[in-house]
Amino acid sequence: MRCVLVASAGAEVLFYWADDAFARSLRLRYGPGAAQAAAGPRGGPPSPAPAAEDSLNTLLAPVIISCAALLERLGDTYTCFAAEGGRHLYVLHMFGDCLYIAVNGDGAEGEDDLRRTLYVLRRLVEAHFGLVTLDSHLLRKELRPADSEQRSRVWALLRGLLQTYIRLRDEEQSFAVEAVERLIHPQLCEQCIEVLERQVVQHINSCVERGGTEVAHAFLLVHTKLLAFYSSRNASSVRPADLLALILIVQDLFPSHSGEEEPASQPATAGLTPPRPKSSESIPVQSLGAAETKAGEQEGNGDDLSTAEEFYTPQPSPGGCSSGSESWSESIELPSSAEADAADVQMAEDSLQALAPPMPDATNPRRIFLDTNLREGYCPMLPHTMHCLLLWPGICLVLLAKGPSTPVALTMSQLLDGLLVLEKKLREGPDVVPSPRSHPLLGDLRHRMDKFVKKLGGPGTQLQNAWLEFKSKAFSRHEPASSQELLQALGGVRHQLCSLYRQFFLNPLAAPGLPQGLLDRAQRLLQEKLLDWKDFLLVKSRRNITMVSYLEDFPGLVHFIYVDRAAGQMVAPSLGVAEKAASELGRGELPAFIKSKVWSLIALARRYLQKGYTTLVLRDGDYYCSYFLWFENELGYKLEVMEVPVLSDDSAPIGMLTGDYYRKLLRYYSKNQQAEAVKCYELLTLHLGVLPPDVVVQQAADLARRLWEPSRIPLL
Amino acid sequence: MADSVLSQPNPGAWWNYFFLYDGSKVKEEEDRTRAGICYFYPSQTLLDQQELLCGQIAGVVRCMVEISGVPPRLIRLRKLKFAVRLDGEYLWVLGCAVELPDISCNHFLDHLIGLFQFYNGPVRQAYTAFSQEKLSKQWDQYIDHIQKNTSDLHRIFNSLWHLDKTKVDPLLLLKAALILQTCQRCRHVLAGCILYKGLIVSTQLPPPVAAKVLHQGAEPAEKSGHGSGDVLQEHDPPLPPGVCLLPVFLTEEESATLWDFPVEWMTSLPVSPASAKAAPRSQAFSDPTGIKETPASTSVREAAWDPPGAGVAVSIPDSASPNGFPEPPANAGDIHPGPLSSWSPEESSAAGDAAAASPGEQGTLPGDSGHSAAEHARDTDASSALMDSAAPRAQGREHQNVTVLGTTPEAERCLLHQCHMASSSFATGGTSKELSSSSWSQPHSQGTTSHGRLPRVGDGAPSNEPSLSDPAPSAEGSEQQLPAGDHGGSQGPGTVELYETVVEGASSPRSRATSSADPTGCPAKPAALVKMVLYVHSIKGLALVLLAEEQLEANTGAIEEVYRSSLASLNGLEVHLKETWPRDSAATKATYSFTHYDCVQNVLAGNLPPAAGAQDQHFLRATSLIHADFAQLPAASEMIVRNACTAVYACRSPVHETYFQQLGVPPRNSGAPNPHDSAFSLPGKAKQKLLKHGVNLL
Repeated sequence: MRCVLVASAGAEVLFYWADDAFARSLRLRYGPGAAQAAAGPRGGPPSPAPAAEDSLNTLLAPVIISCAALLERLGDTYTCFAAEGGRHLYVLHMFGDCLYIAVNGDGAEGEDDLRRTLYVLRRLVEAHFGLVTLDSHLLRKELRPADSEQRSRVWALLRGLLQTYIRLRDEEQSFAVEAVERLIHPQLCEQCIEVLERQVVQHINSCVERGGTEVAHAFLLVHTKLLAFYSSRNASSVRPADLLALILIVQDLFPSHSGEEEPASQPATAGLTPPRPKSSESIPVQSLGAAETKAGEQEGNGDDLSTAEEFYTPQPSPGGCSSGSESWSESIELPSSAEADAADVQMAEDSLQALAPPMPDATNPRRIFLDTNLREGYCPMLPHTMHCLLLWPGICLVLLAKGPSTPVALTMSQLLDGLLVLEKKLREGPDVVPSPRSHPLLGDLRHRMDKFVKKLGGPGTQLQNAWLEFKSKAFSRHEPASSQELLQALGGVRHQLCSLYRQFFLNPLAAPGLPQGLLDRAQRLLQEKLLDWKDFLLVKSRRNITMVSYLEDFPGLVHFIYVDRAAGQMVAPSLGVAEKAASELGRGELPAFIKSKVWSLIALARRYLQKGYTTLVLRDGDYYCSYFLWFENELGYKLEVMEVPVLSDDSAPIGMLTGDYYRKLLRYYSKNQQAEAVKCYELLTLHLGVLPPDVVVQQAADLARRLWEPSRIPLL
Repeated sequence: MADSVLSQPNPGAWWNYFFLYDGSKVKEEEDRTRAGICYFYPSQTLLDQQELLCGQIAGVVRCMVEISGVPPRLIRLRKLKFAVRLDGEYLWVLGCAVELPDISCNHFLDHLIGLFQFYNGPVRQAYTAFSQEKLSKQWDQYIDHIQKNTSDLHRIFNSLWHLDKTKVDPLLLLKAALILQTCQRCRHVLAGCILYKGLIVSTQLPPPVAAKVLHQGAEPAEKSGHGSGDVLQEHDPPLPPGVCLLPVFLTEEESATLWDFPVEWMTSLPVSPASAKAAPRSQAFSDPTGIKETPASTSVREAAWDPPGAGVAVSIPDSASPNGFPEPPANAGDIHPGPLSSWSPEESSAAGDAAAASPGEQGTLPGDSGHSAAEHARDTDASSALMDSAAPRAQGREHQNVTVLGTTPEAERCLLHQCHMASSSFATGGTSKELSSSSWSQPHSQGTTSHGRLPRVGDGAPSNEPSLSDPAPSAEGSEQQLPAGDHGGSQGPGTVELYETVVEGASSPRSRATSSADPTGCPAKPAALVKMVLYVHSIKGLALVLLAEEQLEANTGAIEEVYRSSLASLNGLEVHLKETWPRDSAATKATYSFTHYDCVQNVLAGNLPPAAGAQDQHFLRATSLIHADFAQLPAASEMIVRNACTAVYACRSPVHETYFQQLGVPPRNSGAPNPHDSAFSLPGKAKQKLLKHGVNLL
């Protein structure tokens, strides 16, 4: 029984997701009339949706209101409710004015899991709505559009992502430890990077048709593993945390359930699809086949999807691409139907009528906001256009492009940042800002804002008015306004700025993207290049590293995970739990047991790291578990351990997707190590319990040394 | 009382709020939240704030019940956490600092509620019977009591406040145990506990009950301080000096543990029919080593069980032989039949009472009781019944035995013994026949009754009952026993234990049946709380606390009996304890810290100074984290955690948890896996260093 909900300060439900069990309990509670509501939770036809939503609202309103009341009067608010035995668990967190609540009633998720879910949801909201998240009023408009059809689309998108995240967290080691896992094949990786550089990124960026859009990054994914990544020369790097979020989005678009197919063989559903074309044939057909494969796998919903396709009308391309051919519409349609699938993965039996209508929205390409370090300065949540091109099921090329409006976005984010700082200062009290007029921060802000407003002209009228009002209050010679009034005026300016930002970057028409022709070419090109590698890659992604290669040197070692936190990458033997074929550990219970041990070790290690412990050794039944975190300089010289901050229980979960703990940790450590770059490593090992502890530690030391040796995979 | 709490130099910074809220008083729209607040701590909190907290938390609890069907047990805020209990319309909430571990927060609330119910009965009843003011005073007292006595480690472990046994002459502990056993033999008395300056010296009570009784030790000579006024002071005729009686309420569970085996202690009293039946079983326990004794050797037999260095014999008036392992009785003739038969009429009538419940007992007559016993044992009902009864019994006993014994190897033996019993409870009917006779248990009955024989444990007391209770005392019975006794003697302790178990099993159904059948046995059944009387006798810092049946209150003779039988030894004990108290904690600066927690007895040992330094804080923090995780990870047995300043090693067995930290500046290291890291040598060091503290980790 699970539910995730976002509520505004006014106790309005801005978003919610509930699993079947929860939806059922809602239905039961609210009588037969709520039969309709059954469909609601899955973002089905818009009409029944409000019922479930309203009943949820009724149910949770006391908590939401109480949260606000405590915050107002006690300066503190709820973070968690737990019932006996931890079976029923509620985790609450305020992000800005919005209250996020995660509920679990089956005991399957711990408090950390739920909190993590909330933080990831928040991150996904930020990635999709950018700086609009700074203004709760506008965010409300985005998360809960008045138009119910639009709303169900937005909700389905987020629900799909949330479910994909929960699935990946349970299945993939990379998402369990929150680090990017690379496909270990140095030679192929190198070749791919070369292709991406010479024939994809440079080619596209040198074309005239691209308009102002420019490809900044290109990467290849095989399932959740990164094969190759290339950033154009003048682009800033993508943070590993963002890369992981992008992988999540791609997985949501093209879900690859681990073990759903043995990649080497034809998909089991091949019979349902048109005969698989030879790869040399045209791509569109190929991707259509892929789409149907997917559809077929989704419990025979293929028919629905194909009928759905008929309703589909392609969005007029703002890029002015003329190739409105069949093939194009299909290749765009593909993601949206997969999207619907993802949202419906957990939908049950009656999902037929609940199936969302095809979503003619811009999920692919889609607007994504990523933190970037531009030459002009740091820019949080810079808008990018993300193009995902499926080469074959499981293998995907992703292109991240920056639009021509990047400088505007940069200016706006800097202005917003200035406003926020000023607001914070004002809120701290009049003593901090005795005379706003003379504050250096304000002077600078005034200068930049004036310039910006002037440049904007027409569209910025409202911003201009708000700004003038603020200026008249702040710089009035007669009577200096109270900080309360100033705050109010400042809030107005911020709102207008966010509103402009929304207008510029969230308008579906404002996402030009790359011309389809160029994308098609890139897709075709890579399909040609990787054709011979395809099957190998699909297998390799399942068996990236095998434990066998370590057994001889490390007898008694059962499993390990090695993470380079500075690079945000991890290395681990595959566990292959969900695979139909036997994994290294055999099949069935043993791998599942080892997996549960590994997952619980990850959770335990995090809990101790949160409390400042960097080493943990545990004898747990027949196993010996260990966890180490340490710092090195770039030459591999181990640096002295430091006092790691002790965090409260409700602090942001440790990870990369959720608050980027490790980046902060590295920054914290670097304060004392300014001379050199600092790297941070983590090693988790699982040994047989019969080994003497000193052997376990010795092996861990040897393992760390061996894994540190350059793997010869080209760096990101 | 409230003032005294406030005047404390902030003893409970970790304890922010406590309140009891009666939701039934706030039903209508116009009802004000304050009407429902029965008690709020700290009392100086603004009423608005009180209303805010009560109202909001009550609302959220209701909301969660609505959604999930269960109330929350814990509500966490950013800076506070609330343990929550919902009982009908009543809501108890304890607000603690967020640093306090969840389990401790829950434990403190449970303990507080337990205290209140123990002394005042069910909350609804208490609030109808007494004024809110009076009860508020009670709450103040309890809170004060807990806050004052809770050290850093007590905030992590649910442990009782024990006298540091390493600092007290073991003889004194023995003496205390002896006093308790003597008292236990008095009419109505079930079990007891001796406290000195708020610390347990010796106890026969299961830890949860002992924890509540501890409150008495906290306020020595403060009978009047017991605000609710229900102290049975107005006793007529007046109670002996220093004595007071308090009505107390035990949960059914708690009383079951007391009733389950203490029955045997009361058998000495002809008037207590309920107790009469369990004798053989108790016999079995009093002689776990399987030694067959002659009457004269009774005390010696005890000695065999006592800590080796204690020189038990000293405290035993008539210790006859220094030999701990006397010969088995040559024949039944050794047994004193006289006293037995003199008691038998009562006993048989007692048996008659029980007969309704236990057909095996039917027709027990003084003359042929031995037969009936044998029959009884043969009775298949009985032998099958033993299966279910043996295990709980053994458990209950464990509390007692071990507690009194302290931490000597004997305790382990005892435990072992109990395990043995539990496992052997499946003994076949054939064995039970032999056992039924329980001949060898008889002997010490009479000889010991009059002198405070030193039964090793609470259950040792029964020694005297067998005579009365057991249908076997007749000559035939004893003859029958003979083979059994010989058998046991020749086979060694193990075999005997087996028999004992069976005996115990055979007898327990009877006692059970009786206690439930007999209205006096469990008077307050329907109320879910069982009413009893707490006999408190304070002498300066020392307090003798006894739990007794409700009837004790009306029975002046019995009170007098308890008083007389304990007064002299209590005075002596007090003097001795005072002399050895407070032993200078000769500041031998240890190079390590450790804590050893016994989770069965809830006893904590360790060498942490009262005022925790920086290193100790690290130790405490690690300990509390690991303790919580041990609770979560049933298979975890050892753990080492390390941060920049310190490393802590923890290990646990099913009954113990041990935490160890090496003091001093840790050698510089990187935190990367390194076999030469000092943190990984901690287990070895712990094993070596803790041996001298009686902690064996090998």
